[in-house]
Amino acid sequence: MSFFKPVQALVLGVLLLPLAMGNDYVLHMLTLWALYSLLALSLNIVVGFLGELSFGHAAFFGVGAYTSSLLVMQLHWPMWITPLAAAAMAALLGWLIGYVSLRIVGPQFAILTLGFGAIVLTITNYWVDVTRGPMGLSQIPAFSLPALGLDFSHAIHMYPLALLLLIVVLYGCHVLQHSRQGRAFIATRENRELAAAIGINVFRTKLIGFVVATALAGFTGALYAHYLRVITPDLMSLSYMSAMLIMVVIGGKGSLYGPVLGALLYTFLLEALRSSGAWRMVVFAALLIACVVFLPGGLVSLWRRRQGAIA
Amino acid sequence: MLFLQQLLNGLANGMGYVLIAVGLTLVFGVLRIVNFAHGEFYMLGAYATYYAMALAGLSYLPALLLSTVLVAGLGVLANYFFFAPLQKEHEFTILLSSLGLALLLAHSAEAIFGADPKYLDTPFSDAILDWGNITVTQQRLLIMGVATLLILLVYAFIRYTRMGQMMQATAQHPEGAALTGINTRFVHGYTFALACALAALSGALVGPTTMLFPTVGDWAVLKGFIVVVMGGLGSVTGALLGGLILGVAEALGGSYISMGFKDAIGYAIIIAVLLWRPQGLFNAGAQR
Amino acid sequence: MLFFSRLCPLIFLLLVSMGFPTGVWAQAKPSVRIAAINPLSGAGAFDGQLALEGMQAMVSIINAQGGVLGGRMLELVTYDDKGSPEEGVSAAKRAIEQDKVDLLVGGWFSAVALGQKEVTRDKILHIVTSSQHPKVTEEGHKLLFRLNATSSMMSERYSKFICEHIKPKSVAFITINDDYGRLEVENYTKLLSACGIEVKGNEFYNRTDNEFTTALTKIKSLGAEAVYVSAINTSQGATIYRQLKQVGHRGAVIASAGNMNPKLVELSGPSIDGVYSVSLFAPDSQRPMARKWMMQYAQMFKNEPSFIGALGAQSVELLAAAINKAGDARNYAKLASTLHGQKWDTLLGDISFDDKGQAAQSIYLVQVKDKKIIGVK
Repeated sequence: MSFFKPVQALVLGVLLLPLAMGNDYVLHMLTLWALYSLLALSLNIVVGFLGELSFGHAAFFGVGAYTSSLLVMQLHWPMWITPLAAAAMAALLGWLIGYVSLRIVGPQFAILTLGFGAIVLTITNYWVDVTRGPMGLSQIPAFSLPALGLDFSHAIHMYPLALLLLIVVLYGCHVLQHSRQGRAFIATRENRELAAAIGINVFRTKLIGFVVATALAGFTGALYAHYLRVITPDLMSLSYMSAMLIMVVIGGKGSLYGPVLGALLYTFLLEALRSSGAWRMVVFAALLIACVVFLPGGLVSLWRRRQGAIA
Repeated sequence: MLFLQQLLNGLANGMGYVLIAVGLTLVFGVLRIVNFAHGEFYMLGAYATYYAMALAGLSYLPALLLSTVLVAGLGVLANYFFFAPLQKEHEFTILLSSLGLALLLAHSAEAIFGADPKYLDTPFSDAILDWGNITVTQQRLLIMGVATLLILLVYAFIRYTRMGQMMQATAQHPEGAALTGINTRFVHGYTFALACALAALSGALVGPTTMLFPTVGDWAVLKGFIVVVMGGLGSVTGALLGGLILGVAEALGGSYISMGFKDAIGYAIIIAVLLWRPQGLFNAGAQR
Repeated sequence: MLFFSRLCPLIFLLLVSMGFPTGVWAQAKPSVRIAAINPLSGAGAFDGQLALEGMQAMVSIINAQGGVLGGRMLELVTYDDKGSPEEGVSAAKRAIEQDKVDLLVGGWFSAVALGQKEVTRDKILHIVTSSQHPKVTEEGHKLLFRLNATSSMMSERYSKFICEHIKPKSVAFITINDDYGRLEVENYTKLLSACGIEVKGNEFYNRTDNEFTTALTKIKSLGAEAVYVSAINTSQGATIYRQLKQVGHRGAVIASAGNMNPKLVELSGPSIDGVYSVSLFAPDSQRPMARKWMMQYAQMFKNEPSFIGALGAQSVELLAAAINKAGDARNYAKLASTLHGQKWDTLLGDISFDDKGQAAQSIYLVQVKDKKIIGVK
């Protein structure tokens, strides 16, 4: 199955149109959408490909954001390396937590990851000397290429970059899905005993997937930090975690474009419903439940069904 | 002296946790559901009591009883719509459904009741009892007393009544229980209602020790999870011991180590328990 | 093909919906639109609501008097920053780019204000009402103004009062673990020790805590005569006052500067009686604009007028006055220099701005007596 389809060019064209309009607000929302899509895709690897429900994923996002920011602000590392360092840090943490947790099955895994996530949040909150605790970090330097006049804290520059990265990651996920490793993921997700019986090292497979997912989450966190330039420990909170889960589940877990769609819905619908105040989250909660009960494959499965594919 | 006071604080807080946790553990034991929305029923119990007092002019204890009954009814509906249809599905799906329900209830509460904090005033909340250097409020004594009584009642109920035995049977082996003629759907609904009633009661009792706001359920359900994991999913005695240990560990840890420790200790305990003894510290199989 | 027919229209629709202007109908004279960005959901929602109400009351007064610039009505365009910097930034961008507001008032939480000021930097006149973080003005811009006094400014006068009037022999602190709290405990430890009060200790708590008995028991065991409570959040403050009494503290209770409001008094019940604080707003003020505003507020809203509301009102009052004096609602350089250029008489008293945009205002001592906040002479 090829990743590249003609319809994508059209979609890309549509997505690039706002750059011509120059409306900073719309570009900002689109940038956030692109970043959230990356985050949702990372969670999708754990939830969709591996079939594990992790409640601690927001912690890796936050760790990436803080790592990159602190490396630049305190240790003066050059900014092009720090997102990779952030990804590495998140991956390391992911490896540690995954190594310890992935042997546990069932709802206990969800609670365990919840516990780990909460501990990371608590440490970030209390280790004020390093992280400035609840006050957060502000005036985080932005990526920039002064020679070309590019400042990546401006949506008009960040959006194309984020979109490009999104396409790259989508391609990567596509490749992963169709690789041997990807098929191993699906095998362990569907039936771990059977997968083990045919020689797949279930634990190692899950660990690899988990680490890749957390690395991506950390990388996205770094991008987010240098774009928004203000971060607080709230990034690791349950509200971000719920948001991520909503995006993945409503969009369609396990699919390629599902999380992207979920992120789109979350970002734009939330903005469109601004005037409803507290009710807008009620709408999302209702959508989440509706998807869980009636549409387990998410929105993406709606037109998959129409195409007659096996959802 | 400080030690004794903190110990007492810890036991009082712990009993509050126990109340929250008992319902959660029952729901897991009998329905095999990890109910993230449990904390929201706690929150609803507190709010229902508040409004029963404010709007209907009831005094504290009748309001408490009314709200318990109301929320139990709400629990029956919640189970009917959000959990019963998913019985055959993967537990993943049910977990997500309960998360959705939790978000739905918390945000609806914010939209309906407003985000402003409310205070649940009771005749017991500020009255203090002093023994030498030890101080405790009547409300906390009430919590401890009621919690102890409830634990005994629930334990006896499960052990000795017919319904309780049906709950045990369903928990141990759902298909087997159904084969002996037990209406498992009814048992599920009953258990869920009981759990919600306990959550509401704890909300009405523990609520007055602090302020009420729509997201208080998040705090409650996290504490509940910590206790339930410690005690073993499904074990009522486990919930009792787990709750007390958590309360005391937090109080003593917070007092002698640091407040950050107090926050983190609950999570550290879950992690330690799940990695070392995932079935819980006090759980010998699926016994109660 | 189906992908195209389903997804693209969806994207289009959502993008276009972002493009819809938010209802500015043609009027005799165009209104002056002020963006009001406050936390209206999540943590701080109640405080945000109070701030907005304060602004709305003042807008009504000014519009009833004929608006600004000879007949242009003031119009508030409200946004919810949800207490997070990300939402605050999105809201500010929307206000400026999409809804094309003329002026911007926002920033209750410091993290939000810090993020927002970068969006408004040199683009639009931005008044920050209540955030107390020093960096807001230290790293501000020429169109940025902040109304609330920083805690350093209030500590001079307040510590003097504590030393001379309340005169406890010893004090212990319970403090919120953030910029504000840390600065408070640092300042007051220095200032109170300087006049001979023994500082027995400090306990930090977090923004999300709602149970303080452990910390308060610890504090009580220190045996301090007075306890200084640093709490911005109304709900936490009320819980602390109650639980402080519940653990058996019988001595004086001193509330941190700038946080006394009627809701706090209502929620704390008897435990707050007699507690002192310092505020920019004295509810029994006799100033004509203050009384007018309080009456208007009482007509429009069921909450009691509060310090936060008064700050919101002051922002509107100042903007209107500056617009009238400068003769223009969008010439930001002129408006900024007008604001800098004189002392203004507002409902809270006299106010003037330094070259960083930091306001200097009157500070009043207040005390809670019989469930009312009264000024102390």
